[in-house]
Amino acid sequence: MKKGLLFIISAFLFIGILAGCSGESAQAEKTKDGKVVVDFWSFWGSETRRPIIEKIIDDFNKSQDEVFVKHTYLPWGDIWTKNLASVAAGNPADVIINDINTVAQRADNGQSEDLGKYIDDSFKEQFYPHLWETVLYEDKPYAVPFNTDTRLLFYNKDAFKEAGLDPEKPPATWDELEEYAEKLDLKDGDRYERVGFYPLWGSTGAASWMTSADGGKGFIQNGELYINTPKKQEALQWLLGWKERLGEKTVQSFEAEFGSEQSNPFIAGKVAMWIDIGTFYTQIRDYGDDMNFGVAPIPAYEEGSGNWSDGGGFVAEIPKGAKHPEEAMKFIEYLTGPEAQKYWAMKNYDNVANIEAAEAVVKELKGADQYVYEATVKNLDQTQMFPVPIEYPDYQNRINPHIDNVLLGKTKPEKALEKAEIDVEKLKKN
Amino acid sequence: MKSYETPIERRRAALANKQGMTSNRRISRKTRDNIIGYLFISPWIIGFLGLTLGPLLFSLFASFTDYNITSKMNFIGFDNFKRMFTIDDLFKTSLWNTLFYVIFSVPLTTAGAIFLSVLLNQKVKGMKFFRTLYYLPAILSGVAVYFLWMQLLSPSTGLVNTFLAWFGIEGPAWLFDPEWTKPALLLMKMWSVGGGMLLYLASLQGVSNSLYEAADLDGADVIQKFFHITLPMISPIIFFDVLTSTIGSFQIFQEAYVMTENGSGGPGNSLLFYNLHMWNNAFEVFDMGYASAMAWLLFIVVMILTIINMKIGKKWVYYEGGDNK
Repeated sequence: MKKGLLFIISAFLFIGILAGCSGESAQAEKTKDGKVVVDFWSFWGSETRRPIIEKIIDDFNKSQDEVFVKHTYLPWGDIWTKNLASVAAGNPADVIINDINTVAQRADNGQSEDLGKYIDDSFKEQFYPHLWETVLYEDKPYAVPFNTDTRLLFYNKDAFKEAGLDPEKPPATWDELEEYAEKLDLKDGDRYERVGFYPLWGSTGAASWMTSADGGKGFIQNGELYINTPKKQEALQWLLGWKERLGEKTVQSFEAEFGSEQSNPFIAGKVAMWIDIGTFYTQIRDYGDDMNFGVAPIPAYEEGSGNWSDGGGFVAEIPKGAKHPEEAMKFIEYLTGPEAQKYWAMKNYDNVANIEAAEAVVKELKGADQYVYEATVKNLDQTQMFPVPIEYPDYQNRINPHIDNVLLGKTKPEKALEKAEIDVEKLKKN
Repeated sequence: MKSYETPIERRRAALANKQGMTSNRRISRKTRDNIIGYLFISPWIIGFLGLTLGPLLFSLFASFTDYNITSKMNFIGFDNFKRMFTIDDLFKTSLWNTLFYVIFSVPLTTAGAIFLSVLLNQKVKGMKFFRTLYYLPAILSGVAVYFLWMQLLSPSTGLVNTFLAWFGIEGPAWLFDPEWTKPALLLMKMWSVGGGMLLYLASLQGVSNSLYEAADLDGADVIQKFFHITLPMISPIIFFDVLTSTIGSFQIFQEAYVMTENGSGGPGNSLLFYNLHMWNNAFEVFDMGYASAMAWLLFIVVMILTIINMKIGKKWVYYEGGDNK
């Protein structure tokens, strides 16, 4: 009798395990009233963003008789790995928000659907051209741009006045930037109370300055390497000059505090000029205590060489093997259309890909909100995207250590960039 | 009726009769027992086959392919392994960083733990308090500790450098200076030797007092007693600790991932450890085949080191049983 019982219990355990393995397949593909369910994955789960995206979904669902979008929130760290796993398993979402700079990589690896067959030629005209370019792979669109960003120079007008500078005349070139920065420095003995400017703080990096010096040419352009160029060497030397002027200690101790302090050093008045994306303005607005600030394009290497800025952003795409691509595309069209994009931009103060929406937002905003947003929209003309080239997937990791070494005074820019170029070349042979 | 030799057999027979079985089906009952046993451990077996052994073998296979999760899985022979040694410079950097870390962290943490446990094995008032105090860091969970240490090691405002400044020493920039990033991690590791300390403390208390008494009679001093009695007596635990911490140190990942900007491996790639480089290959550029190959190479390296450790261990580990097994 006892053994019979044992047998039954263990059999149950066994069956339980088997049942546990087959959970996912029971997903509904239609709602009760017969609408096709489109599974939409995003990482917008925060208190501020979730209601915004869900309102957009809700509006869409109300307008539809045949499609019903179901939002699935996945945390930032998981969403793309999960996406790949589900593509490999043949059971992916219908629409996913993904990184704009790696669209071609996914297309090349067969992870996303070609959207060309669902849209006509005029569709792309809704979007900023530099964004549309990033979604093309072999001339076919594999995603639709959703939002983007651009970098601007934020400057503290009060500090400008204090230093005897005209607050309505932000620096326009690298030379001016240096000149202004020195005037804006505030020292107490050897210690810096305020640093005028440091080019590697904020939302920028060595690569951006090197690109700007080189007339907007990135490290890799159309499959060609432009890593070890005279202008890039010069820019690197220039960056090193900043570090030498402020001193290693000052730079490091300021940096170490950025991470631990709640308030941003620009907002706290510790740095007088600061490069960041447009949404940085919302921090100034919310925590800046009516700070008197201005925004300007990033200073040009020299007059007329271009106020280059770089951007990122996200796209909506259909993972390879999605069950309802046509319905998914309907939703993507809505998501990237003027109405939803305007709503998103107004609520998030985010730069959106849809031109009509962005311009409508500029008109509707008021005061400082409008001033900064308009500047970001204008800045999109000089903003470049640097999508990761297919042949060189990991190139930044090869270049960055060499740049680090220069800034640490271990090698000269020429040597470092020469090595960096060799390292990146090696990637390709593979 | 047969006569049974033991009460158990009698009961079995009775049970068998009750279920309409005869004693000549004893073998099938054994089989049945086995089946029941396997069914009971089936959750584990399925878990092991499906979630451990299966993926393990799959990754072994993948290490000979250009697997990228979604579209490619071509057999490319030993190309992945060749690439590590010929093309991928970061592989060498990461291997060197990891070896550096292992070479310093294993002896330092082992010696630190032994030293601490000997101190905490003294008969002083309030010892329980001190033991708790030193063990405390071991129970704090990883990421929180890393964040704590990032603050402690902050170059200008961190407690470590503030403390050093009291003695007129200008502290290094720790996590911001490539020369000091690995020492910074070692310092952090030394702080949490409490886990190992507990093992040693337990084994120290198992060392028989009669040995020390005998040594006292022979006129041995404290240091002689430590090296000739204490160390040999706890050598099995030292061996165990060295073995596991060597394996553990090779797997260092979280520290670098959490404590460097964007998990990039720190300034000048000074914290790009083997596993971090592997992770970047696997989950940043989705080069799974290459990452699998890296994983298997590490497995082989660690396996060889473990075997060497085991062989050498026979020479210096003392087992009280006497047969050295």
